[in-house]
Amino acid sequence: MNALEGLAALLLVAGSSFFLAGTVGLLRFPDALSRLHALTKADNVGLLLICSGLGVLAGSLQTAGMLLLVWLLAMLAATVSAHLIAGRALADDTPELPGEQDDTP
Amino acid sequence: MSLAIDLLIATGLVVLAWQALVGGSLFRGIVMFIVFGLTMALAWARLGSPDLAMAEAAIGAGVTGALLMIAYWRLRALGANRPAPRSPLRARVALGVGLLSAVLVAMIGLAAVGAIGPGGEAGQALAEALPATGLGNPITGVLVIFRNLDTLLEVAVLLAAYVASRAVMGDDKAALPLPPAQDAPLVGALVAVLAPLAVLVAIYLLKAGSQLPGGAFQAGAVLAAGGVLLMLAGRLHPAPLCGVGLRIALVAGTVVFSGVGLIMLALGQPLLAIPGTWAVYLIETAMMISIGATLVLLFAGSAGLTGTPRR
Repeated sequence: MNALEGLAALLLVAGSSFFLAGTVGLLRFPDALSRLHALTKADNVGLLLICSGLGVLAGSLQTAGMLLLVWLLAMLAATVSAHLIAGRALADDTPELPGEQDDTP
Repeated sequence: MSLAIDLLIATGLVVLAWQALVGGSLFRGIVMFIVFGLTMALAWARLGSPDLAMAEAAIGAGVTGALLMIAYWRLRALGANRPAPRSPLRARVALGVGLLSAVLVAMIGLAAVGAIGPGGEAGQALAEALPATGLGNPITGVLVIFRNLDTLLEVAVLLAAYVASRAVMGDDKAALPLPPAQDAPLVGALVAVLAPLAVLVAIYLLKAGSQLPGGAFQAGAVLAAGGVLLMLAGRLHPAPLCGVGLRIALVAGTVVFSGVGLIMLALGQPLLAIPGTWAVYLIETAMMISIGATLVLLFAGSAGLTGTPRR
Protein backbone atom coordinates (compact mmCIF):
# COMPACT_ATOMS: atom_id res chain seq x y z
CA MET A 1 0.00 0.00 0.00
CA ASN A 2 1.57 3.26 -1.06
CA ALA A 3 1.10 6.66 0.55
CA LEU A 4 -1.84 7.63 -1.67
CA GLU A 5 -3.76 4.45 -0.92
CA GLY A 6 -3.03 4.95 2.76
CA LEU A 7 -4.44 8.46 2.59
CA ALA A 8 -7.52 7.21 0.72
CA ALA A 9 -8.09 4.46 3.29
CA LEU A 10 -7.79 7.01 6.09
CA LEU A 11 -10.34 9.31 4.41
CA LEU A 12 -12.76 6.45 3.72
CA VAL A 13 -12.58 5.12 7.28
CA ALA A 14 -13.04 8.63 8.68
CA GLY A 15 -16.03 9.19 6.38
CA SER A 16 -17.60 5.88 7.36
CA SER A 17 -17.21 6.73 11.03
CA PHE A 18 -19.16 9.95 10.39
CA PHE A 19 -21.93 7.93 8.74
CA LEU A 20 -21.94 5.43 11.61
CA ALA A 21 -22.11 8.19 14.22
CA GLY A 22 -24.81 9.99 12.24
CA THR A 23 -26.91 6.84 11.96
CA VAL A 24 -26.57 6.06 15.66
CA GLY A 25 -27.56 9.65 16.42
CA LEU A 26 -30.54 9.46 14.09
CA LEU A 27 -31.76 6.31 15.83
CA ARG A 28 -30.98 7.26 19.42
CA PHE A 29 -31.48 11.02 19.78
CA PRO A 30 -34.80 12.03 21.33
CA ASP A 31 -36.22 14.81 19.11
CA ALA A 32 -36.32 15.93 15.50
CA LEU A 33 -33.80 18.75 15.78
CA SER A 34 -31.04 16.74 17.44
CA ARG A 35 -31.65 13.85 15.04
CA LEU A 36 -31.22 16.25 12.14
CA HIS A 37 -28.09 17.57 13.80
CA ALA A 38 -26.63 14.05 13.79
CA LEU A 39 -27.84 13.25 10.29
CA THR A 40 -26.51 16.36 8.56
CA LYS A 41 -22.99 15.73 9.82
CA ALA A 42 -23.01 12.38 8.03
CA ASP A 43 -24.43 13.95 4.89
CA ASN A 44 -21.95 16.82 4.76
CA VAL A 45 -18.64 15.83 6.30
CA GLY A 46 -19.04 12.06 5.93
CA LEU A 47 -19.85 12.26 2.23
CA LEU A 48 -17.05 14.80 1.66
CA LEU A 49 -14.50 12.48 3.28
CA ILE A 50 -15.73 9.48 1.28
CA CYS A 51 -15.76 11.41 -1.99
CA SER A 52 -12.25 12.72 -1.23
CA GLY A 53 -11.05 9.19 -0.52
CA LEU A 54 -12.55 7.90 -3.76
CA GLY A 55 -11.14 10.88 -5.66
CA VAL A 56 -7.65 10.11 -4.36
CA LEU A 57 -8.10 6.46 -5.36
CA ALA A 58 -9.44 7.36 -8.82
CA GLY A 59 -6.25 9.25 -9.64
CA SER A 60 -7.91 11.28 -12.41
CA LEU A 61 -8.94 14.89 -12.14
CA GLN A 62 -12.10 14.29 -14.17
CA THR A 63 -13.40 11.61 -11.81
CA ALA A 64 -12.41 13.68 -8.80
CA GLY A 65 -14.30 16.65 -10.26
CA MET A 66 -17.42 14.53 -10.80
CA LEU A 67 -17.19 13.25 -7.21
CA LEU A 68 -16.98 16.85 -6.07
CA LEU A 69 -20.18 17.61 -8.03
CA VAL A 70 -21.87 14.59 -6.40
CA TRP A 71 -20.94 15.98 -3.00
CA LEU A 72 -22.14 19.50 -3.84
CA LEU A 73 -25.49 18.22 -5.14
CA ALA A 74 -26.03 15.89 -2.18
CA MET A 75 -25.18 18.73 0.19
CA LEU A 76 -27.59 21.11 -1.51
CA ALA A 77 -30.44 18.58 -1.27
CA ALA A 78 -29.55 17.54 2.29
CA THR A 79 -29.25 21.14 3.49
CA VAL A 80 -32.59 22.23 2.10
CA SER A 81 -34.49 19.13 3.21
CA ALA A 82 -33.00 19.35 6.71
CA HIS A 83 -33.97 23.02 6.79
CA LEU A 84 -37.55 22.22 5.74
CA ILE A 85 -37.93 19.33 8.20
CA ALA A 86 -36.55 21.49 11.01
CA GLY A 87 -38.90 24.33 10.09
CA ARG A 88 -41.85 21.96 10.06
CA ALA A 89 -40.83 20.38 13.37
CA LEU A 90 -40.59 23.84 14.95
CA ALA A 91 -43.94 24.92 13.49
CA ASP A 92 -45.70 21.76 14.67
CA ASP A 93 -43.91 22.09 18.00
CA THR A 94 -43.84 18.31 18.14
CA PRO A 95 -40.57 16.66 18.96
CA GLU A 96 -41.48 13.59 16.85
CA LEU A 97 -40.45 13.25 13.23
CA PRO A 98 -43.53 13.13 10.98
CA GLY A 99 -44.89 9.67 10.31
CA GLU A 100 -43.86 8.17 13.63
CA GLN A 101 -47.33 8.12 15.09
CA ASP A 102 -49.80 5.31 14.62
CA ASP A 103 -51.08 5.89 11.12
CA THR A 104 -52.71 2.78 9.73
CA PRO A 105 -55.25 4.21 7.33
CA MET B 1 -14.43 -9.01 0.47
CA SER B 2 -16.66 -8.63 -2.58
CA LEU B 3 -18.51 -11.80 -1.56
CA ALA B 4 -19.18 -10.17 1.82
CA ILE B 5 -20.67 -7.12 0.06
CA ASP B 6 -22.83 -9.33 -2.17
CA LEU B 7 -24.06 -11.32 0.84
CA LEU B 8 -24.79 -8.09 2.69
CA ILE B 9 -26.86 -6.77 -0.24
CA ALA B 10 -28.70 -10.07 -0.74
CA THR B 11 -29.54 -10.39 2.96
CA GLY B 12 -30.50 -6.74 3.10
CA LEU B 13 -32.90 -7.18 0.17
CA VAL B 14 -34.73 -10.06 1.83
CA VAL B 15 -34.94 -8.26 5.18
CA LEU B 16 -36.11 -5.00 3.55
CA ALA B 17 -38.73 -6.80 1.46
CA TRP B 18 -40.03 -8.51 4.60
CA GLN B 19 -40.03 -5.25 6.53
CA ALA B 20 -41.86 -3.45 3.71
CA LEU B 21 -44.65 -6.04 3.94
CA VAL B 22 -45.01 -6.56 7.69
CA GLY B 23 -43.71 -3.22 9.01
CA GLY B 24 -45.86 -1.77 11.76
CA SER B 25 -47.31 1.15 9.85
CA LEU B 26 -48.02 2.01 6.24
CA PHE B 27 -45.52 4.88 6.35
CA ARG B 28 -42.81 2.53 7.57
CA GLY B 29 -43.65 0.08 4.82
CA ILE B 30 -43.30 2.79 2.16
CA VAL B 31 -39.93 3.92 3.52
CA MET B 32 -38.75 0.30 3.56
CA PHE B 33 -39.92 -0.10 -0.04
CA ILE B 34 -37.89 2.94 -1.12
CA VAL B 35 -34.79 1.65 0.66
CA PHE B 36 -35.45 -1.74 -0.95
CA GLY B 37 -35.44 -0.05 -4.38
CA LEU B 38 -32.12 1.67 -3.68
CA THR B 39 -30.57 -1.58 -2.43
CA MET B 40 -31.92 -3.33 -5.52
CA ALA B 41 -30.17 -0.69 -7.64
CA LEU B 42 -26.94 -1.52 -5.80
CA ALA B 43 -27.52 -5.19 -6.56
CA TRP B 44 -28.01 -4.48 -10.29
CA ALA B 45 -24.84 -2.36 -10.29
CA ARG B 46 -22.94 -5.24 -8.66
CA LEU B 47 -24.32 -7.59 -11.31
CA GLY B 48 -22.91 -5.35 -14.04
CA SER B 49 -26.24 -3.94 -15.24
CA PRO B 50 -25.93 -0.16 -14.90
CA ASP B 51 -29.01 0.38 -17.11
CA LEU B 52 -31.20 -1.60 -14.76
CA ALA B 53 -29.54 -0.02 -11.72
CA MET B 54 -30.41 3.46 -13.00
CA ALA B 55 -33.95 2.50 -13.93
CA GLU B 56 -34.50 0.85 -10.55
CA ALA B 57 -33.13 3.83 -8.62
CA ALA B 58 -35.01 6.42 -10.70
CA ILE B 59 -38.32 4.64 -11.25
CA GLY B 60 -38.44 1.83 -8.66
CA ALA B 61 -37.22 3.85 -5.70
CA GLY B 62 -37.60 7.49 -6.78
CA VAL B 63 -40.82 7.96 -8.73
CA THR B 64 -42.69 4.99 -7.24
CA GLY B 65 -41.61 6.14 -3.79
CA ALA B 66 -42.96 9.63 -4.50
CA LEU B 67 -46.25 8.17 -5.81
CA LEU B 68 -46.63 5.94 -2.73
CA MET B 69 -45.87 8.88 -0.43
CA ILE B 70 -48.44 11.14 -2.08
CA ALA B 71 -51.00 8.32 -2.01
CA TYR B 72 -50.29 7.86 1.68
CA TRP B 73 -50.63 11.59 2.28
CA ARG B 74 -53.99 11.64 0.45
CA LEU B 75 -55.22 8.66 2.43
CA ARG B 76 -54.47 10.56 5.63
CA ALA B 77 -56.00 13.76 4.25
CA LEU B 78 -59.17 11.80 3.49
CA GLY B 79 -59.26 10.85 7.15
CA ALA B 80 -58.97 7.17 6.37
CA ASN B 81 -57.51 6.55 9.77
CA ARG B 82 -59.41 3.36 10.52
CA PRO B 83 -57.63 0.01 10.48
CA ALA B 84 -58.20 -2.08 7.37
CA PRO B 85 -60.89 -4.71 7.83
CA ARG B 86 -59.32 -8.10 8.49
CA SER B 87 -61.44 -10.94 7.27
CA PRO B 88 -60.34 -14.59 7.39
CA LEU B 89 -61.32 -14.98 3.72
CA ARG B 90 -58.94 -12.17 2.77
CA ALA B 91 -56.15 -13.72 4.76
CA ARG B 92 -56.67 -17.08 3.04
CA VAL B 93 -56.71 -15.48 -0.40
CA ALA B 94 -53.60 -13.48 0.47
CA LEU B 95 -51.86 -16.64 1.64
CA GLY B 96 -52.75 -18.43 -1.58
CA VAL B 97 -51.64 -15.55 -3.78
CA GLY B 98 -48.42 -15.25 -1.77
CA LEU B 99 -47.65 -18.96 -2.13
CA LEU B 100 -48.36 -18.88 -5.87
CA SER B 101 -46.09 -15.85 -6.26
CA ALA B 102 -43.34 -17.63 -4.31
CA VAL B 103 -43.67 -20.69 -6.59
CA LEU B 104 -43.56 -18.45 -9.66
CA VAL B 105 -40.46 -16.60 -8.44
CA ALA B 106 -38.76 -19.90 -7.58
CA MET B 107 -39.54 -21.29 -11.06
CA ILE B 108 -38.20 -18.16 -12.77
CA GLY B 109 -35.12 -18.35 -10.58
CA LEU B 110 -34.53 -22.00 -11.46
CA ALA B 111 -35.02 -21.22 -15.15
CA ALA B 112 -32.56 -18.33 -14.88
CA VAL B 113 -29.97 -20.56 -13.24
CA GLY B 114 -30.32 -23.06 -16.07
CA ALA B 115 -30.50 -20.46 -18.84
CA ILE B 116 -27.76 -19.89 -21.38
CA GLY B 117 -25.49 -17.02 -20.36
CA PRO B 118 -24.97 -13.79 -22.32
CA GLY B 119 -22.76 -15.72 -24.74
CA GLY B 120 -25.78 -17.79 -25.77
CA GLU B 121 -27.74 -17.65 -29.00
CA ALA B 122 -29.72 -14.45 -28.39
CA GLY B 123 -26.68 -12.66 -26.97
CA GLN B 124 -24.55 -13.67 -29.96
CA ALA B 125 -27.20 -12.63 -32.46
CA LEU B 126 -27.47 -9.28 -30.69
CA ALA B 127 -23.71 -8.75 -30.66
CA GLU B 128 -23.57 -9.51 -34.41
CA ALA B 129 -26.53 -7.31 -35.36
CA LEU B 130 -25.78 -4.34 -33.11
CA PRO B 131 -22.89 -2.68 -35.05
CA ALA B 132 -25.10 -2.32 -38.15
CA THR B 133 -27.59 -0.20 -36.16
CA GLY B 134 -25.02 2.43 -35.18
CA LEU B 135 -25.91 1.95 -31.49
CA GLY B 136 -23.33 1.03 -28.89
CA ASN B 137 -25.63 0.15 -26.02
CA PRO B 138 -27.15 -3.32 -26.52
CA ILE B 139 -29.97 -2.50 -24.07
CA THR B 140 -31.16 0.41 -26.23
CA GLY B 141 -30.78 -1.82 -29.29
CA VAL B 142 -33.07 -4.44 -27.78
CA LEU B 143 -35.57 -1.88 -26.45
CA VAL B 144 -35.97 0.26 -29.56
CA ILE B 145 -35.00 -2.00 -32.48
CA PHE B 146 -34.96 -5.74 -31.83
CA ARG B 147 -37.82 -6.15 -29.34
CA ASN B 148 -39.51 -2.81 -29.86
CA LEU B 149 -43.07 -4.14 -29.78
CA ASP B 150 -42.55 -4.82 -26.05
CA THR B 151 -41.33 -1.27 -25.49
CA LEU B 152 -44.19 0.23 -27.49
CA LEU B 153 -46.64 -1.72 -25.35
CA GLU B 154 -44.88 -0.55 -22.18
CA VAL B 155 -45.41 3.07 -23.21
CA ALA B 156 -49.02 2.29 -24.11
CA VAL B 157 -49.53 0.61 -20.71
CA LEU B 158 -48.25 3.75 -18.97
CA LEU B 159 -50.73 5.85 -20.96
CA ALA B 160 -53.53 3.39 -20.13
CA ALA B 161 -52.58 3.53 -16.45
CA TYR B 162 -52.91 7.31 -16.49
CA VAL B 163 -56.26 7.20 -18.30
CA ALA B 164 -57.49 4.60 -15.80
CA SER B 165 -56.37 6.75 -12.87
CA ARG B 166 -58.32 9.68 -14.37
CA ALA B 167 -61.37 7.46 -14.69
CA VAL B 168 -61.44 6.49 -11.02
CA MET B 169 -60.33 9.77 -9.50
CA GLY B 170 -62.33 12.96 -9.16
CA ASP B 171 -60.64 16.32 -9.11
CA ASP B 172 -61.69 16.99 -5.53
CA LYS B 173 -59.12 14.49 -4.32
CA ALA B 174 -56.30 16.07 -6.26
CA ALA B 175 -54.81 17.82 -3.26
CA LEU B 176 -51.13 18.23 -2.59
CA PRO B 177 -49.37 18.90 0.70
CA LEU B 178 -49.07 22.59 1.42
CA PRO B 179 -45.80 23.76 -0.17
CA PRO B 180 -43.27 25.70 1.90
CA ALA B 181 -43.97 29.43 1.87
CA GLN B 182 -42.95 31.10 -1.39
CA ASP B 183 -40.44 33.24 0.48
CA ALA B 184 -38.94 30.32 2.39
CA PRO B 185 -35.18 30.63 2.18
CA LEU B 186 -33.21 27.96 0.29
CA VAL B 187 -36.22 26.45 -1.49
CA GLY B 188 -35.92 28.90 -4.36
CA ALA B 189 -32.21 28.18 -4.64
CA LEU B 190 -32.87 24.43 -4.67
CA VAL B 191 -35.48 24.75 -7.41
CA ALA B 192 -33.29 27.14 -9.40
CA VAL B 193 -30.45 24.62 -9.39
CA LEU B 194 -32.28 21.29 -9.58
CA ALA B 195 -35.04 22.02 -12.12
CA PRO B 196 -32.69 22.99 -14.99
CA LEU B 197 -30.31 20.25 -13.88
CA ALA B 198 -33.09 17.66 -14.19
CA VAL B 199 -33.69 18.71 -17.80
CA LEU B 200 -29.96 18.67 -18.54
CA VAL B 201 -29.45 15.23 -16.97
CA ALA B 202 -32.52 13.85 -18.76
CA ILE B 203 -31.26 15.01 -22.16
CA TYR B 204 -27.79 13.69 -21.36
CA LEU B 205 -29.19 10.30 -20.33
CA LEU B 206 -31.23 10.16 -23.54
CA LYS B 207 -28.26 11.02 -25.74
CA ALA B 208 -25.83 8.79 -23.85
CA GLY B 209 -28.34 5.94 -24.01
CA SER B 210 -27.38 5.12 -27.58
CA GLN B 211 -23.81 4.24 -26.62
CA LEU B 212 -23.65 4.10 -22.82
CA PRO B 213 -26.04 3.13 -20.01
CA GLY B 214 -29.11 5.36 -20.13
CA GLY B 215 -32.21 5.77 -22.26
CA ALA B 216 -35.73 7.07 -22.46
CA PHE B 217 -37.08 5.44 -19.28
CA GLN B 218 -34.30 6.77 -17.05
CA ALA B 219 -34.45 10.17 -18.73
CA GLY B 220 -38.25 10.32 -18.36
CA ALA B 221 -37.99 9.43 -14.68
CA VAL B 222 -35.46 12.23 -14.11
CA LEU B 223 -37.77 14.69 -15.90
CA ALA B 224 -40.64 13.49 -13.72
CA ALA B 225 -38.50 13.98 -10.61
CA GLY B 226 -37.94 17.58 -11.69
CA GLY B 227 -41.71 18.02 -12.12
CA VAL B 228 -42.43 16.50 -8.70
CA LEU B 229 -39.88 18.87 -7.17
CA LEU B 230 -41.54 21.89 -8.82
CA MET B 231 -44.90 20.70 -7.55
CA LEU B 232 -43.76 20.12 -3.95
CA ALA B 233 -42.03 23.50 -3.97
CA GLY B 234 -45.28 25.18 -5.01
CA ARG B 235 -44.09 26.24 -8.48
CA LEU B 236 -46.44 23.91 -10.37
CA HIS B 237 -50.03 23.11 -9.43
CA PRO B 238 -52.70 20.58 -10.41
CA ALA B 239 -55.27 21.98 -12.84
CA PRO B 240 -58.70 20.64 -13.75
CA LEU B 241 -58.10 20.89 -17.49
CA CYS B 242 -55.46 19.30 -19.66
CA GLY B 243 -53.88 21.79 -22.04
CA VAL B 244 -53.12 20.96 -25.67
CA GLY B 245 -49.37 20.85 -25.09
CA LEU B 246 -49.75 18.44 -22.19
CA ARG B 247 -52.07 16.22 -24.22
CA ILE B 248 -49.50 16.03 -27.00
CA ALA B 249 -46.80 15.26 -24.43
CA LEU B 250 -48.92 12.45 -22.95
CA VAL B 251 -49.46 10.62 -26.23
CA ALA B 252 -46.19 11.61 -27.99
CA GLY B 253 -44.37 8.37 -27.17
CA THR B 254 -47.18 6.06 -28.31
CA VAL B 255 -48.00 8.12 -31.41
CA VAL B 256 -44.43 8.69 -32.64
CA PHE B 257 -43.37 5.10 -31.93
CA SER B 258 -46.34 3.48 -33.62
CA GLY B 259 -46.32 6.16 -36.35
CA VAL B 260 -42.75 5.36 -37.36
CA GLY B 261 -43.60 1.66 -37.30
CA LEU B 262 -46.72 2.12 -39.46
CA ILE B 263 -44.94 4.39 -41.97
CA MET B 264 -42.30 1.71 -42.40
CA LEU B 265 -45.07 -0.82 -42.99
CA ALA B 266 -46.57 1.46 -45.64
CA LEU B 267 -43.14 1.71 -47.29
CA GLY B 268 -43.05 -2.06 -47.63
CA GLN B 269 -40.80 -2.75 -44.64
CA PRO B 270 -41.78 -5.01 -41.75
CA LEU B 271 -44.00 -3.43 -39.06
CA LEU B 272 -41.98 -1.37 -36.55
CA ALA B 273 -38.79 -1.58 -38.60
CA ILE B 274 -36.55 1.30 -37.48
CA PRO B 275 -35.12 3.27 -40.43
CA GLY B 276 -31.99 4.54 -38.68
CA THR B 277 -30.31 6.02 -35.63
CA TRP B 278 -32.17 9.30 -36.11
CA ALA B 279 -35.45 7.38 -35.67
CA VAL B 280 -34.12 5.84 -32.46
CA TYR B 281 -33.43 9.32 -31.09
CA LEU B 282 -36.81 10.60 -32.30
CA ILE B 283 -38.71 7.71 -30.68
CA GLU B 284 -36.68 7.91 -27.46
CA THR B 285 -37.23 11.67 -27.18
CA ALA B 286 -40.99 11.27 -27.62
CA MET B 287 -41.00 8.42 -25.09
CA MET B 288 -39.02 10.48 -22.58
CA ILE B 289 -41.50 13.36 -22.83
CA SER B 290 -44.49 11.02 -22.47
CA ILE B 291 -42.99 9.11 -19.54
CA GLY B 292 -42.08 12.34 -17.75
CA ALA B 293 -45.49 13.96 -18.32
CA THR B 294 -47.45 10.82 -17.34
CA LEU B 295 -45.51 10.31 -14.12
CA VAL B 296 -45.86 13.97 -13.09
CA LEU B 297 -49.61 13.88 -13.79
CA LEU B 298 -49.98 10.63 -11.84
CA PHE B 299 -48.26 12.39 -8.93
CA ALA B 300 -50.45 15.46 -9.31
CA GLY B 301 -53.55 13.26 -9.49
CA SER B 302 -55.09 15.81 -11.82
CA ALA B 303 -55.97 16.25 -15.48
CA GLY B 304 -53.58 19.10 -16.08
CA LEU B 305 -50.91 21.35 -14.66
CA THR B 306 -50.68 25.09 -14.20
CA GLY B 307 -48.13 27.56 -12.97
CA THR B 308 -50.72 29.56 -11.03
CA PRO B 309 -52.60 27.92 -8.17
CA ARG B 310 -56.29 27.06 -8.49
CA ARG B 311 -58.52 29.17 -6.30
